[in-house]
Amino acid sequence: MLGGMSEAAIDTRDLRKTYRGRAVVDGLSLTVPRGEVFGFLGPNGAGKSTTVKMLLGLVQPSGGEIRVLGGRPNDPAVRARLGFLPEQFRFQTWMTASEFLDFHGRLAGLSAAERRTRIPEVLGEVGLGGRGHETLGGYSKGMLQRAGLAGAILARPELVFLDEPTSALDPIGRVEVREIIERLRARGAAVFLNSHLLSEVEQVCDRVAFVKAGRVLTQGSMRELMGGVLPVDLRVDTLTGGLLDTLARLGEVRRTDTNTQGRADVELWLTRDDQIPAVADAVHAAGARLYALTPRRPDLETMFLDLIEDTPEAARAGRGEVTRA
Amino acid sequence: MRNVLLIAELSLREATRKRLVSVLLVLSALFLGFFLFGVYRLEMRLDDRAVQAGLDGRSPTGAANLPVMFSALFGMYLVYFLGSLMGVLSTVGAVSGDIESGVMQSVIARPVSRAQLVAGRWLGFTAVNVAYVALLSAGLLGGVRLITGYTPPEALPAAALLLLAVTVLTSLTVLGSTLFTTLANGIGVFVLYGVGFTGGILSAIGTFADTPTLTSLGRVANALMPTNALWLGASYHLQPEIMRQVGEVSRGANPFTSSVPVEPLLVVWAAVLAALALLAAMWRFSRRDL
Repeated sequence: MLGGMSEAAIDTRDLRKTYRGRAVVDGLSLTVPRGEVFGFLGPNGAGKSTTVKMLLGLVQPSGGEIRVLGGRPNDPAVRARLGFLPEQFRFQTWMTASEFLDFHGRLAGLSAAERRTRIPEVLGEVGLGGRGHETLGGYSKGMLQRAGLAGAILARPELVFLDEPTSALDPIGRVEVREIIERLRARGAAVFLNSHLLSEVEQVCDRVAFVKAGRVLTQGSMRELMGGVLPVDLRVDTLTGGLLDTLARLGEVRRTDTNTQGRADVELWLTRDDQIPAVADAVHAAGARLYALTPRRPDLETMFLDLIEDTPEAARAGRGEVTRA
Repeated sequence: MRNVLLIAELSLREATRKRLVSVLLVLSALFLGFFLFGVYRLEMRLDDRAVQAGLDGRSPTGAANLPVMFSALFGMYLVYFLGSLMGVLSTVGAVSGDIESGVMQSVIARPVSRAQLVAGRWLGFTAVNVAYVALLSAGLLGGVRLITGYTPPEALPAAALLLLAVTVLTSLTVLGSTLFTTLANGIGVFVLYGVGFTGGILSAIGTFADTPTLTSLGRVANALMPTNALWLGASYHLQPEIMRQVGEVSRGANPFTSSVPVEPLLVVWAAVLAALALLAAMWRFSRRDL
């Protein structure tokens, strides 16, 4: 039934989970391609963690279908190719970090030789190099989360679930986690990122899905979700009428600000990357001096609030923004 | 099987690392030392009395040696009680503890089946508990023998029944820890332990007062929780003929010891119950949401 779709890292159809008659996940259909970083977004209580647990076989679905890496998560052979950092990163506190990773490496079926080389490698990767001999009981929350991350990437998984992976980390740690996620993608692994930090999701995710009340409201690449729009911030010294006309031909001029003497800011919505150099050319042609030309990633926060908050006020606020120009 | 052994090894290392083993060994040594010191003083006093009475020595199986026989018997009762207590307390959170702390999630996400995990936990904790009772039994009976020269007549079958009892208790505790929270499980298993003891008391009174209803109730309780019946079976093996005769005379008016051997069917049932509890735990945990 899901033939052909088994190529996807994750494929769910109409996934359901009810607890005592209350649907926590209610007909969730999701497709995550291989090798992509997928952001899973939604308000508290949207069913995100329950979905992750079903994808890992920790929770049995009440209905619907799940395919993970072409198989069922209940199959240990499928789980051997997964990595998981739980939201509550609680591990055996009596173990040292190296023992913890050794145990998980053995569970994952890594040979002794592999574990010997791989454990110091992942400890270094998560910033715990040289601290593997300390017991986890003495670790700070941030260090524990790093250790959990090391466990998640230990067995070179094809799909990694990261549930709020930076909740206990300082800004440096967050950047490091982003780098780890990018390395995973470069290696061809898919990453399923469950995070409240929209800026973080914005920076690393290829695709996102918004869930609310156990259903996917929308999913797609960031560009698709923004309706193919590429916002660009432009700053020049003067904004002549001719330049404004040229810019309006290239894209949609959303906002202009000439209040400051000797400076003009323009927000321009383009549709394609290759229009960006044309903007620079137009500025030069008009004899203006270019101070900044910055393409912005689509703004997830606006999108999130628009989609998730369906109160009348929020709906009006959303429309107001679109018609602002 | 590899995963089962890996989880069992983890449980053993956990027991060692959390100082469970060292605390047990130290306290058990203290208990044995305390108890055996008492036996030592008793033996000296008995010897004194024998000398005062102008006797050449005491027969190890004679009535004069009854106090020593009683010390060995009730020493073993303490071993059974401590072993049961320790079996329940060490195992009470075998599965539920890891669920409650959140440790279970990252383990179960690995390619290990739930059934393997439960079997591994059971194996590890059973090994610890059985080794503990075996060690304590050997320490106690060995100590008594060293001090007094007395050994209960059938020490090995008695110890085997005690090891079976602690295995049953461990299995039921593992089952409980897949069903309930750690605290509820601990309470539940102790209530079951109480049911077993009740079975012994009811049977004793039933026999003593010749009341078949009480005896039947006792049988039900023993089937539900055979640990006490196994102890009573062990107590039979721990008594020389003279003590059994004393028991016969009192018509079993003592719920702590028995003057009849355990029914073979009950031993078989206890082993089956332990296996069933383990299988039920494996089955139940495989279907549980975490």
